[in-house]
Amino acid sequence: MRGALAALLAGALAQAALAGAVVEGRVELPRTGPAPVLIQRYEVVSQGGVLSTLPPLAVVYLEGPFPARAAPPAATMAQKDLAFVPALLAIEAGTRVDFPNLDPTYHNVFSYSAAKRFDLGRYRSSERPIPSVLFDTPGLVTVHCDIHEHMRALILVLDTPYFTITRPDGSFRLAGLPPGHHVLKVWKDSRTTLTRPVDLADRASLRADFP
Amino acid sequence: MSARPEPGGARPASRVAGFRTRLLVAMTAVTFAAAALVLYLAERRLAATAEQSFQLEFRSALAGLHEADRIRQAVMEGRCRELARRPRIHAALEDDAEDLLYPSAQDELADLIAPDSGGSTLRGVQFCRFLGRTGAPIRPGSSDSVGRLSPREEAALRVRALPARQEIGYIERDGGGIAQIILTPIISSDTGEVIAALVLGFDPLQLSLPDERGIRTGIWLGGRVHLSGGTLPVGGALAPAVNAALARPGPPAEASFRLSLSGEPRLIFCKSLNPDSAFPPAYEICVYSLAELSERQRHLRWEMLGAAAVVLLGAFGAGEVLSLRFSTPVEKLAVESERSARFSADASHQLKTPVAVLRAGLEELLAGEHFSPEECAQLSALVHQTYRLSSLIDDLLLLARMDAGRLKLERTPVELRDLIDACTDDFSAMPDPNMPQIETRLDGRLEVIGEKRYLAMILHNLLENGRKYNRPGGRIRIDAREDGRLVRLRVGNTGPGIPAEAQPQLFERFRRGRQGEAVPGYGLGLNLARDLARLHGGDLRLVGSEGDWTEFELTLQRAEGPAA
Repeated sequence: MRGALAALLAGALAQAALAGAVVEGRVELPRTGPAPVLIQRYEVVSQGGVLSTLPPLAVVYLEGPFPARAAPPAATMAQKDLAFVPALLAIEAGTRVDFPNLDPTYHNVFSYSAAKRFDLGRYRSSERPIPSVLFDTPGLVTVHCDIHEHMRALILVLDTPYFTITRPDGSFRLAGLPPGHHVLKVWKDSRTTLTRPVDLADRASLRADFP
Repeated sequence: MSARPEPGGARPASRVAGFRTRLLVAMTAVTFAAAALVLYLAERRLAATAEQSFQLEFRSALAGLHEADRIRQAVMEGRCRELARRPRIHAALEDDAEDLLYPSAQDELADLIAPDSGGSTLRGVQFCRFLGRTGAPIRPGSSDSVGRLSPREEAALRVRALPARQEIGYIERDGGGIAQIILTPIISSDTGEVIAALVLGFDPLQLSLPDERGIRTGIWLGGRVHLSGGTLPVGGALAPAVNAALARPGPPAEASFRLSLSGEPRLIFCKSLNPDSAFPPAYEICVYSLAELSERQRHLRWEMLGAAAVVLLGAFGAGEVLSLRFSTPVEKLAVESERSARFSADASHQLKTPVAVLRAGLEELLAGEHFSPEECAQLSALVHQTYRLSSLIDDLLLLARMDAGRLKLERTPVELRDLIDACTDDFSAMPDPNMPQIETRLDGRLEVIGEKRYLAMILHNLLENGRKYNRPGGRIRIDAREDGRLVRLRVGNTGPGIPAEAQPQLFERFRRGRQGEAVPGYGLGLNLARDLARLHGGDLRLVGSEGDWTEFELTLQRAEGPAA
């Protein structure tokens, strides 16, 4: 019975995604030096107390009175090669994030951010179940490793199921959006969020660039 | 007929005994002075060495403790640096989670929390505080876990600006103790800015040195000295003395001075604990009792005095032996000299009378008219010989008086020019067909000090010497000039020179050169002239004798008076 309901809900969402509006565009990201060619690694940097990723990435999300999903799919932020991967994670509030340790050493994931304070303690890759945290309050969470002081990551907890992270060139595509009058937002760094009202029509595509 | 001793002349035995006593006294005095000087210097040196070794001992003991303190402090500093880098501390400061700052610090310092203190105090660490960007302390929610501080104590942690390096400071605790604090800047890994500072307060290291030496250590802070435990009643004298020593402009890194505390001499060492710190200066104070050193030096002094007594006794004995040993040959010499002088005097006196009788008899005979001219000539020659004999006896008598030290001069200013003129006149009048030509070159003021008749005798002897050893048709040259406080008179003559090998014995009595064998005389003239010159404070020497020219130089003391 419960499985049938979940399948139904998933089918309805897929339908909505297929049937919804699409917003495409490009966010003008700050120019940085040439990125490494082979392995694209992102790190979280703070400049004057402003946190962002390097190379820069942005989170594009649609804000509106959307009904929250009952159980958003779990997300993962791994610790690999002494770094958090991904360095920037956008999730919907209520999402559980797994923090698997893929390194042959201890890590200790914690956050002192107001949106979510947690401390997973020291654990190795063999730790089961994989330590995870439920993020139920929207906001920006800075994740640290207590053992490796350089390790830092950002989790943007959003009050919407409609969000995406831009590609490195700043381009993005949000599909399956509900029609109506909404606000499109772009999170560029911990201090900068751009806002733009949008009117979305069903099966229509909208171009939205953020300079 | 024997010579009468001159008035004032002491008996040789008593003079020799006097000499021996004087020698003994002089030698004892010299040995005494030398020994005393050596002992004094040795005592000074040993005392200084004792103090030096004492200080060295003390300093090395201190150095060991300082090294321990340095290591402890280095460990603490390293720990503080590590703590200031901890992600939790950074997260609490940079992620606006100040409420988690002290709990995080407490977690990080968990290993320093004393297991027996119920977690309320930190082991060795008295307290932990963070300073915000303004340099003011960030108050902990509850100070139970990170050490209680009164508002005054917290205010003492404040700095005007956050320093970029670690700073050492000391604060006075309300209970009367001292806490050592290490301030460590917390630097943002992104911007490199100092965003806060961590301050840990420790118990200062208690220097525990052997107490039997009366060593006390403490810390000077803000004009007060906080001594660690012990029983030394230092009273109020220490702090003002330390304040005075440290009050100099540009406070010294180290200072040491002596101070009498409770009637006992003590050495005080002050060493800066936090030079150039953002916190008020603090000094380590070490009070070191000098009682043992004084005792050691007193002991040393007594030992030296004992050694001095032995050395001085030895010096006295050695002086006695040496003076006896040295005086014996002198005594012999003095007795012989006395005997010789007495013999010369006696012989001369004994001879004068018969010569006078002989001359009178001969002259009486000569006055008769019953002799042929040849016999008269022979008698005249005999009379002439008695004059030469008289002259010889006079010379011997004079030498004997000089040898015995009985010739007293009546020193008056004598114009040498007049004397030279008179002498040359006398010589010119002599009936000598080979009389050399006499040249004089007199320059400057030539007034000398001496007795005229003896000066004339010197001149006469020199001229006579020049005449006798001249060659036919030769000359004598007299040069005289003033030279500072002296008058230099040179008498040179032509004639065969004096062989080099004979020159060293030239002034010896009765010594005559080979060429002198054909010349009348007794070899006393030059000796007499030199002895007289020396008696006048001058001298007579041979300048040179080469080829056809021999020259003597007579020096005499010039008379004081205005320059001519």
